[in-house]
Amino acid sequence: MGKGVVLMSGGIDSPVAADMVMGRGHELVAVHMDNRPFTDTSPLEKVHDHLQVLRTLHGQALPLYVLPHGSTQITLMRNTDRHVGCIMCRRFMWRSAERIAEREGASFLVTGEALGQVASQTLPNMRSATTAVRLPIVRPLIGFDKHEIEERAKALGTYGISTRPGLCCQAVPDKPATRSRLVQILGEEQKIDVERILEDVVKRAELQ
Amino acid sequence: MSYRSLALCSNGGAYEAIPEPKLRLDLAQARTKLEADHRTVIDARVMLILPGTPEMTLTRDGKVVLKTHDAAEADRAFRELAHVLELPGVERARPPG
Repeated sequence: MGKGVVLMSGGIDSPVAADMVMGRGHELVAVHMDNRPFTDTSPLEKVHDHLQVLRTLHGQALPLYVLPHGSTQITLMRNTDRHVGCIMCRRFMWRSAERIAEREGASFLVTGEALGQVASQTLPNMRSATTAVRLPIVRPLIGFDKHEIEERAKALGTYGISTRPGLCCQAVPDKPATRSRLVQILGEEQKIDVERILEDVVKRAELQ
Repeated sequence: MSYRSLALCSNGGAYEAIPEPKLRLDLAQARTKLEADHRTVIDARVMLILPGTPEMTLTRDGKVVLKTHDAAEADRAFRELAHVLELPGVERARPPG
């Protein structure tokens, strides 16, 4: 079985996705993009609790890398078009996860994305975000609706953790683009030093 | 213009103050005022972040998010901020005691 890197947000979806992949016998390493100061400590606390549930259930070590993401968000806000902020943010998350995958010898990425659930999860936006990385992305929840995911989370025992009080991401623009064009995204990335930002983020990764 | 009373945000993670109708704040000017009040400000262009207790964010439309679960602390911090920024319709916080 293979080894993958799962992006864990603290929300309802990602632990369910991780559970489905681990249930097929794959080994996972978790990555959490720490979005402070655009959120609070609650997402990280939830991720720790989600991982404890998954470790107990699947008997895996499931290590967690926490990568700083707030400084990247500030750079994006200062220098790029706000309407595509969520896609730009997502591309950095994917790239960061891919760097950790290289470090860990993992061959695929996992996410709890479900088609059309939020602005960054429309088909055009997922395509724009996905082109940032070379590794395959596994999306076990892609065709599920929110209700189905919630039911699975309740059965798994992570729903109550995910729905504890917490601060939503403050970096989400008022009117996020739902139909991004890759050419525009690539143009926006020309305004910033992607490689330097990424190197800095990965250098500051903490294994918890 | 007036601010709605402070209320917990939808996920219950912070208090927020929202003006009605929305403002069009000049964040550069707001930053100048805050720095003149010896406050540390992180300028993200579309919002200002004020580290501290509680940490606050201020957006162009005048929305203030206060990262605390303590209503009294949120109220005091918001009134002080509104005073520094000279936001209309907000009374200054009374000193404790």
